[in-house]
Amino acid sequence: MSDNIQLEKIDDYRWRIPKSYKPGMRVPGLIYADEKLLKSIYQDRALEQVANVAFLPGIVNNSLAMPDIHWGYGFPIGGVAATDIEEGGVISPGGVGFDINCGVRMLRTDLKYDDIKDKLKDLVYALFSNVPSGVGSKGDIRVSAKEERQILVKGAKWAVENGFGCQDDLECTEEFGAVQGADPEAVSERAYERGKAQSGTLGSGNHFLEIQVIDQLYDSRLCDEFGLDLGQITLMIHSGSRGFGYQICEDYVKNMVHCLQKYNINVPDRQLACAPVNSTEGKLYLGAMRCAANYAWANRQCLMYLARQSFEKVLGSSWQKLGMHLIYDVTHNIAKIEKYTIDGKEKNLCVHRKGATRAFGPDHPALPERYKKTGQPVIIPGDMGRNSYLLVGTKKAEEETFGSTCHGAGRVKSRTASTRTTNLNTLLKELESKGIIVKASGRNTLVEEAPSAYKDVNDVVNVVHNAGISKRVCRMRPLGVIKG
Amino acid sequence: MKNYEVLEHTADIGIRVKSSSLEGLFRNAGLAITDISTEKQKTQYPEKHKIVITQKADNVEELFVNWLNELLSVSSAEALIFEDIKISQITENFVDAIAIGSDMRNYKTNVEIKAATYHQLKVQKSGSLWQAEVIFDV
Repeated sequence: MSDNIQLEKIDDYRWRIPKSYKPGMRVPGLIYADEKLLKSIYQDRALEQVANVAFLPGIVNNSLAMPDIHWGYGFPIGGVAATDIEEGGVISPGGVGFDINCGVRMLRTDLKYDDIKDKLKDLVYALFSNVPSGVGSKGDIRVSAKEERQILVKGAKWAVENGFGCQDDLECTEEFGAVQGADPEAVSERAYERGKAQSGTLGSGNHFLEIQVIDQLYDSRLCDEFGLDLGQITLMIHSGSRGFGYQICEDYVKNMVHCLQKYNINVPDRQLACAPVNSTEGKLYLGAMRCAANYAWANRQCLMYLARQSFEKVLGSSWQKLGMHLIYDVTHNIAKIEKYTIDGKEKNLCVHRKGATRAFGPDHPALPERYKKTGQPVIIPGDMGRNSYLLVGTKKAEEETFGSTCHGAGRVKSRTASTRTTNLNTLLKELESKGIIVKASGRNTLVEEAPSAYKDVNDVVNVVHNAGISKRVCRMRPLGVIKG
Repeated sequence: MKNYEVLEHTADIGIRVKSSSLEGLFRNAGLAITDISTEKQKTQYPEKHKIVITQKADNVEELFVNWLNELLSVSSAEALIFEDIKISQITENFVDAIAIGSDMRNYKTNVEIKAATYHQLKVQKSGSLWQAEVIFDV
């Protein structure tokens, strides 16, 4: 509970934790939420974590929280913090998380609901058998040790070069599928061991692959630009860097716990362990984290290849003929070095997005030509029973939130509480009544991931849209769900 | 009876373990990982694998997190589920143990534990009882 925190209302969608709340806070906390979402936010300790993040050396403007914020470890999930590198700003592995570059990609198709309604079950089963999922799942895409190092540097480009996609896919991926500056030498042998054989695997927990249908359009001009219309079938893939990323985070949290004393850093939670970005430890982590980020982009590229293959098999047509083009791929667990103007000066900041999505507006230099006019596509998955969204980034996000927005619905109920209160058969019936077919690897995954365990993504998106830090394009509802 | 309690956490899973000895505390916490994340199925691969786990740290809390993370990491890298743990030597700064693992394919996995975290970590001795609380990222 966060009852002891008195928030100051700025407007209907912005709330402040004053710097005076806790001695040691370097900046205020700024929470994007409305009155309804605040009620659930108050129920756990996420707000305290927003205040804790404000202790990080070099943090600028605000410790930010998106409306899907919930209690994490160290950083809240849904937290954004930027530190000024030239002013001793730090990087914190806990501010990225164990699943480095956990992210989501969305594909369009030329198919309409009527084209697949009789084949939906076949598609779900084909995806389930073709895409390895579940804990410790191993993929058919095997690579040599030498190739694994190439994946860490080339990311999704490695996958495309090996026949798992096309050049267009790279243009439609954040960082064009590979962040620069990956340093395979900064990766432990154990991380390599944990990562091998997991390329092209979905993973477990909240990771999923969904067949969706567009059920609402918000901006017809933008929908036209993206080639999207009502009733059109889309696909969404949510996965990350698997055991490879977990090990890198673990290695560097362990290392950076000792940096707190070395660099005289005072933080209220050891999981916020950090080091100056420009220190040896900071640079090594950044190099290793980028390897995991690239591994995840290669992974999602391989997953998309397997998904396209499944559609080809069931529908008897090539993915190109089915119009299965990638709209965009975004990461929501990462630290990036980005330029912003702070107090009139251009600064290099280390932007941590822990459960938050980059949301650059039109004309941003990081965007491919095709999205310069629209702004960056932002993909927001919801729970398996309600909706998901396509949004675009805005200039306002660049001004206010270091170009960031929400990343999903956000949990509201613990896994144990969800398991206690959800009956599997009732849940399956409820999903069936909505026309949703589900296949899952883990027995417990479905009840743990029940829609009632999440906030309503519609409420979350409503806040980021009305606050102007991203803009609604269209909404999807799930038809077929594959869970890890 | 379970040798641990589950603590509520919105996104992740916390546990509380107790024991009259540090050795028992570490063993109970290590085996709690197996209990939370897996369910035994029919044994198809009966071979047992003995893995030496050695960790050191500046204090008992860091040692506890390092220990749990090493178990998780080896379990994932070797595709093993640890069914028993024999601690050969333990102090507040050092642990040396043998973890006995069974092939992961003998188990159904319920939840993937990614790592143990320092968030709200507690390892304390009160009277003659050791108690620890830790939150796992799942």
